Amino acid sequence: MVMTTPYRSSVQNPRDGFVQLMLAEWTKLRSVPRWSLTMLGGILVTILSGMLLAGGAGSASSGGDGATRGISPQYRDAGNYVHRVLTGDGSIVARVASQKNNDPWAKGGLMLRADAKPGAPYAALMITPGHGVRLQANFVTDIPGSSSQAPRWLKLTRTGISVTGFESADGATWTKIGTVELEGLGDQAEVGVFVASPDALQLQRQFGGEDIVENTNLGEATFDNVKVEPAKPQQLPPWRGDIKPVAPDATSFHLVGAGDIAFYHYATDSTKTMLTGAMFGMMAIVALAVLYVTSEYQQGLIWTTFTASPRRGRVLAARAVVLGGVTFVLGLVAAFGTFLLASPMVRKGNAAPATLSDPQVLRAVVGTAALLAVVAVFSLAIASILRRSAAAITVVLLLLLAPLVAGSALPLAVAKWLERLTPSAGFAIQQTLERYDTAIAPLPGLAVLCAYTAVALGFAIWRIGRQDA
Amino acid sequence: MRHALHAEWTKLRTLPSNLWLALAIAVFTVAATAASTAAVSTAQCPTPLTCFEDTAKLSLKGVWLGQAIVVVLAVLVMSNEYGTGMIRTTLAAIPRRHTVLLTKAAVIVATVFAAGTLGVLGSLAIGGVIMPINGFNPANGYQPLSLLDGPTFRAAAGSVLYLTLIALLALGISAAVRDTAFSITAVLTLLYVVPVVSTFVKDPEWLDRLRRFSPMTAGLAIQATRDLDRLPIGPWPGLGVLAGYAAAAMLLGGVLFVMRRA
Repeated sequence: MVMTTPYRSSVQNPRDGFVQLMLAEWTKLRSVPRWSLTMLGGILVTILSGMLLAGGAGSASSGGDGATRGISPQYRDAGNYVHRVLTGDGSIVARVASQKNNDPWAKGGLMLRADAKPGAPYAALMITPGHGVRLQANFVTDIPGSSSQAPRWLKLTRTGISVTGFESADGATWTKIGTVELEGLGDQAEVGVFVASPDALQLQRQFGGEDIVENTNLGEATFDNVKVEPAKPQQLPPWRGDIKPVAPDATSFHLVGAGDIAFYHYATDSTKTMLTGAMFGMMAIVALAVLYVTSEYQQGLIWTTFTASPRRGRVLAARAVVLGGVTFVLGLVAAFGTFLLASPMVRKGNAAPATLSDPQVLRAVVGTAALLAVVAVFSLAIASILRRSAAAITVVLLLLLAPLVAGSALPLAVAKWLERLTPSAGFAIQQTLERYDTAIAPLPGLAVLCAYTAVALGFAIWRIGRQDA
Repeated sequence: MRHALHAEWTKLRTLPSNLWLALAIAVFTVAATAASTAAVSTAQCPTPLTCFEDTAKLSLKGVWLGQAIVVVLAVLVMSNEYGTGMIRTTLAAIPRRHTVLLTKAAVIVATVFAAGTLGVLGSLAIGGVIMPINGFNPANGYQPLSLLDGPTFRAAAGSVLYLTLIALLALGISAAVRDTAFSITAVLTLLYVVPVVSTFVKDPEWLDRLRRFSPMTAGLAIQATRDLDRLPIGPWPGLGVLAGYAAAAMLLGGVLFVMRRA
């Protein structure tokens, strides 16, 4: 009897794991020379246009540079401040006798700050012609008091790092406005009276640009009954500041001052400006992502792909991972390249230059790469649904660009809603400053784009298995 | 020439998607106008007169969206033949290549002219309905638009011309690039991305140059009917800039089309 061994192929079972799928997709992506050139070109154009844009960024050339030296362009820390050192706890009291109404937000009042340098932690209690009494701190805190006008008594009291503001009509009965905490306040603090006034600002938005012109606007106020009351008895040093020498026991001041101490909503976002060049790179990525899908349908390669791996949803998922990953890496090269080459070209102004050690700037640079990757996956999903290059590219580009193009010619409120609700919200990730025209915060903006992408990709995966290839 | 024209017209007419695209040019233009006019009202200005709104320009706003479909249609007329291999049949039938390109240009210009006229007239009509509701009415000093008014007629006719020039620009680029995806991306980038990016240019001199020489902002100057002296470029010179782009693209596309193997 002859024993026969059943035939067994020596070829191993083909592996069709997700890693193999990704390798296959990576091979398809990298082996078309025209596509590689497109990617390379996208990176180069991004960096070059970033450098060109950076050359014109920095200070607005028309209205001069009103920024405060050495601090973020987002804050203005100017005005006229007459101050003396107070050691330990204590209070400062004064009556604002009169104030010039040159702007609703002209400021006259008391200020306590860690030191006299720009950007130092501060608490300021003020009277404004249009917004009554306010207690403000560190550029962002703003607590309203009564709507009284000058003359009005004001008092700032320090206990540890807490600073409390009071107001009064007669200097006898005091009403508390609020308390703010100043991190980094040492034993010695500067206390005094100040006058500040925002610049007169003219803003013109029109298609293809904005124009901001600022003119100095002088604020003016008179103070009397100025008195510093230390908790511990001490010899108070003389008054300092931009005034003629005054007696150590002077109790009345007349101050004139320009410049504001406040959050500034019109600063140029130089990081966003230079990273805007990524929009050109993005166009290359969109074309590539769409071609990556549609060319398989056009050339019939899709049948081979689906024969090799019949689970179609997984093919699409692998393709999205590969394309997203490649784009993210290329995006990092482009974004860091842009920042490193373009930031030295930003015109030097007073404000502190953007550096990568600032978390907002780092987020914008890395976020630009993420933005490109998400846009690539979004284009891929739309292309898988529509399967036609022309249709897919037009839909993607219109969804991304139309809100921006339309927005610059529409009223600001409408433009903001367009930028919040459409995929173009993703561009918010490139912001490092909050401006008057900021529509949505960086991370929520990217999340809106991610949501559109997730829905499109989910629909594409659901659909691809239910449709003839 | 007449037979070549007939052949091109047949190719354009018998592809159902082209009819839809032509309709989409008009529909997108009118829809975008409706949305833009609905978004602007005199209530957003301190007083109705200080809006300084150019009502003719506002009611032709939709053109900036309709042009995207013009680009798709014009690019596909050329690149689709390369995608399907039809170009070899076309060139076998009509070996004179410049005739092929010129007849393609002729049929696409005629189509876009018709669809654009429809879209522009529809825009003026819908703008005429919506704008008075939003306060741009004679009571506030805004006269209703009329095509008998010289500047308004120039803006309307110029918008149709603008769309046909965009079609020629797209056709030229697609004859040079040949690939649908890259052609559409290139033209839409030139039209849309340049103005968006130029919002970030702070140097007033460069901003002015960009507004004068980017095809969309320059070409759309034809729609302005008031404050003409404050425009970066005048209406007709602006359209001339776009015509320059279109001519350059057609020339480049034509030279490459004649020299290269199909």
